[in-house]
Amino acid sequence: MTSARTIPTTTTPDALIASFERAGYARVAPAILQPAEPFLDLSGEDIRKRMYLTTDPQGRELCLRPDLTIPVSRDYLASPAAGKPRGFCYLGPVFRHRAEGGGEFLQAGIESFARPDTAAADAEMLALGLDATAHYGLGAPDIRTGDVALFCALVAALDLAPAWKRRLIKDFNHKTSLAQDLDRLTISASHARSEYQGVLAALAGSDPKGAHALVTDLLSIAGITAVGGRSVGEIADHFLEQAALGAQTSLPRETRALIEKFLAITGDPHEAAAKLRAFAREGKIALDGALDAFESRTACLAARGVDVARIRFSTAFGRGLDYYTGFVFELHDPLARALGPLVAGGRYDGLLTRLGSASAIAAVGFAVWIERLAALRSAS
Amino acid sequence: MSATLVVAVPAKGRLQANMEAFFARVGLELIKPRGVRDYRGTIANLPGVEVAYLSAAEVVELLAQGAVHLGVTGEDLVREKIPDADRRVVFVDALGFGHANVAVAVPQAWIDVHSMADLDDVAIAFRLKHERKMRVATKYVNLTRDFFSSHGVTDYRIVESSGATEAAPAAGTAELIVDITTTGATLAANGLKVIDDGVILRSQANLIAARAANWGAAARATARSVLDRIAAQTHARAFREVRTRFARCDNALIAEAKQRFGVETPFGGPTSSGMLTLHCPPTHVHALATLLRDNGAENVVVADLGYVFSRADPLYAKLEAGLGPPS
Repeated sequence: MTSARTIPTTTTPDALIASFERAGYARVAPAILQPAEPFLDLSGEDIRKRMYLTTDPQGRELCLRPDLTIPVSRDYLASPAAGKPRGFCYLGPVFRHRAEGGGEFLQAGIESFARPDTAAADAEMLALGLDATAHYGLGAPDIRTGDVALFCALVAALDLAPAWKRRLIKDFNHKTSLAQDLDRLTISASHARSEYQGVLAALAGSDPKGAHALVTDLLSIAGITAVGGRSVGEIADHFLEQAALGAQTSLPRETRALIEKFLAITGDPHEAAAKLRAFAREGKIALDGALDAFESRTACLAARGVDVARIRFSTAFGRGLDYYTGFVFELHDPLARALGPLVAGGRYDGLLTRLGSASAIAAVGFAVWIERLAALRSAS
Repeated sequence: MSATLVVAVPAKGRLQANMEAFFARVGLELIKPRGVRDYRGTIANLPGVEVAYLSAAEVVELLAQGAVHLGVTGEDLVREKIPDADRRVVFVDALGFGHANVAVAVPQAWIDVHSMADLDDVAIAFRLKHERKMRVATKYVNLTRDFFSSHGVTDYRIVESSGATEAAPAAGTAELIVDITTTGATLAANGLKVIDDGVILRSQANLIAARAANWGAAARATARSVLDRIAAQTHARAFREVRTRFARCDNALIAEAKQRFGVETPFGGPTSSGMLTLHCPPTHVHALATLLRDNGAENVVVADLGYVFSRADPLYAKLEAGLGPPS
């Protein structure tokens, strides 16, 4: 594998993809026409308005691929190599309605599957991403990084009802929602809940099994049968969870302060790690596993010759996609001439399971916006 | 396009009946010179207008393209079918019929769901438990997506539905729906309830102008005379005329009436002989008459208004502000 400094500066995307191949990634070319389902399912309905959708004569929804991560992952899963460590690179068009330019644009990128050395794999992605900007003459892009796993570890360690934990994790990637959640967390019980408040409060302290039976019975007495895919038991469970939430409204002010303090931590990875260790110590929150992974990644980055002091890490940094599970990064033009990142990627260990893999498969990768880089090249 | 003003209106159902009644009330009689089966019509005594009878979906489509100047249809369809609707059309006037709320409805058995925040919780838990996302049946794909997104709900899938959406949960093709409801009776009959903060849009029939249409001077002039009648009649319906004459009538008293009852003075303050004409909202007529008599009026005469034409021409002003100056 090559390091950033020995790569010749060239502007053709073919030279870039050739360098990915030399780094050990097999070039693949997934189908342009893809089933729409996985994209809508994994990226959310919001992506629908940006996709080019069509329907085949059998009524199946198809799309022009809006990215290559999901197509490369699906092809890998369908291949005999599924589950084995493999690395792929690609170069080709992707299709999205967008404000800048046309709906078709070029992306190159890498997807790396099932590597057990996750810290080294994460570091390699960022290093190869930096190689890609260097190809286009941008030697020192802004490096922004985050780590979803740290936020998940924080939420797991907090004394909160399960419903709140699930919601906070889901909303990490939607920052306005997260702010709303934090507001709601601190709203007093009186104004937050429904006409069942009294019942919920009475149920809050009671024996869960008995309460569950009561709610189930009440529903059947009322002649209400479950429609729409949720069983009565499921409804009763969540109803009781709300009772628990109602009982918990006195707690959260310091929890909110803790989350906000966590989300304010920024710095280069060394500074951030020190701050996070101090935060965990003061708040008596067990972040050790996630922090150890974070520090070994930093060590791997340094070992690959990445100038760690130039990395701007932020605990609040997310990429707006639910499927990232760990390290995330974006490389930006320091002069902000592009309408978005030049290179972006991260770890998505949950994605292959959601695409149907029976066992968990680690995965990390990134994509390169070729046109944005080329435009910068010709501008300078 | 010639100088003719093309107005697209719904061709069937209650919306057509209400629309025709509305135009008749403002003194614009829609006529079909070649018989009731004809899909082209005119307006009696108003040359330069072509009325196109179309399906509701076509009205929206032609407005978006600018193939017609004006259209009558529900705001719900316009907001659903035309992305960034306010940039493409001008909502000139809400017409007071065709009321329907586009709302999120869930099974009544979901006693744990009262708000969109509850729905968000349930959506997350549903995905984790069933390893698939909750399905929302609707024909309002875009309204649903924007509304759910604004409430931070992401764990759902849309199932497009073209009819009998309210039956989808019972049929097992969706967990919940987004649909129009007027009284909620159809929803209740299907075991569904509307979420408290789940009303996406309170829709009614609107008179809508297409920005992309060819708005020449002749089309504008014709539109102006249509809108002038609508504005004059709308204003007339919102007020009663109150007339009286008494010597002690002064500006202080009128100021009080304006402040308390929302009274308007179409011809200014009292004349030198104390003649006064006021326009008063119907609900305050008696209170106003009492106030006037308490202050010395002998008789107070109240009458319905036919039209109130004003120089200000508010609807046309709104249209012109939306369209920009003539090209």
